[in-house]
Amino acid sequence: MALKFNRNKHNSKIILDGERWERRLQKELMSLVREPPPGVVVDSDQGENLSLWTINMTGAEGTLYEGEHFTLQFKFSPKYPFDSPEVTFIGPNIPVHPHVYSNGHICLSILTDDWSPALSVQTVCLSIVSMLSSCKEKKRPPDNSFYVKTCNKNPKKTKWWYHDDTV
Amino acid sequence: MFECNICLDTAKDAVVSMCGHLFCWPCLHQWLETRPMKQLCPVCKAAISKDKVIPLYGRGSKQQEDPRNKVPPRPAGQRTEPENTGFPGFGFGDGGFHMSFGIGAFPFGFITSTFNGGHEQRPHIFQDRGVVNPEDEVLSKLFLYVAITIFLWLLIA
Repeated sequence: MALKFNRNKHNSKIILDGERWERRLQKELMSLVREPPPGVVVDSDQGENLSLWTINMTGAEGTLYEGEHFTLQFKFSPKYPFDSPEVTFIGPNIPVHPHVYSNGHICLSILTDDWSPALSVQTVCLSIVSMLSSCKEKKRPPDNSFYVKTCNKNPKKTKWWYHDDTV
Repeated sequence: MFECNICLDTAKDAVVSMCGHLFCWPCLHQWLETRPMKQLCPVCKAAISKDKVIPLYGRGSKQQEDPRNKVPPRPAGQRTEPENTGFPGFGFGDGGFHMSFGIGAFPFGFITSTFNGGHEQRPHIFQDRGVVNPEDEVLSKLFLYVAITIFLWLLIA
């Protein structure tokens, strides 16, 4: 009979300590400033604590959004990058797109279920640029008005149903 | 470069997945705990698990000063003995210090485990200290003493 006893699972949540959390965000910011996806402009000054970013985006040439300007907001929880960032469109111009609600919430699987800590602000921006660029018809999601009235402020609280891979 | 795919720093206590992606063990462990039911490689989404990552030991790495107080030890490297090493009769235990006491063939079990502990053929370098939990060690010792006591008692009686 081999002796085996249950090692207590380390219950306390271990996250990147403050220093490494900040270092990762700092590195992401630098590389985003250096090599932004097409149409993306980011200010290297994102305020004191790096947990809230504002990113400017211009619709790509030859797409339905050509020349339009959008603003994206990223919120990082202390559990980032194990926990996905909260990403929404903000400001006066929210893109009219079948996966973007008029309150700025975005239906995109990598922002919840398919998030991975190897993704970054850069890759998320690229996904959003590509999502906009592949759009064939500007329209709001079919359940827009109901969703906007009933949803939580935090899009991550929504139980998204990812069913349309075409756009 | 040798940067962890999660914290983006130089990988510390590095492990590599079967799909070839490099992580710090504490980072990867945290990710595996985050979604225990859906353990996927953060980079390529291949199925991964704790048992299927390989630790990387660089040259001259010092004894790590305990990242393991916080995080479970990174999985040990798997090491197979080469064939025909001479003493076929002495082939107990290639696993280091794990002791086990059976009830059935008790005295023999005792003898083998003594051999196991005392007969150390391999240089220290190959042993990952992290595998031996201090609690396990204490417990093993305790059981060893209990076993010795019972053995002596059997002899006397």
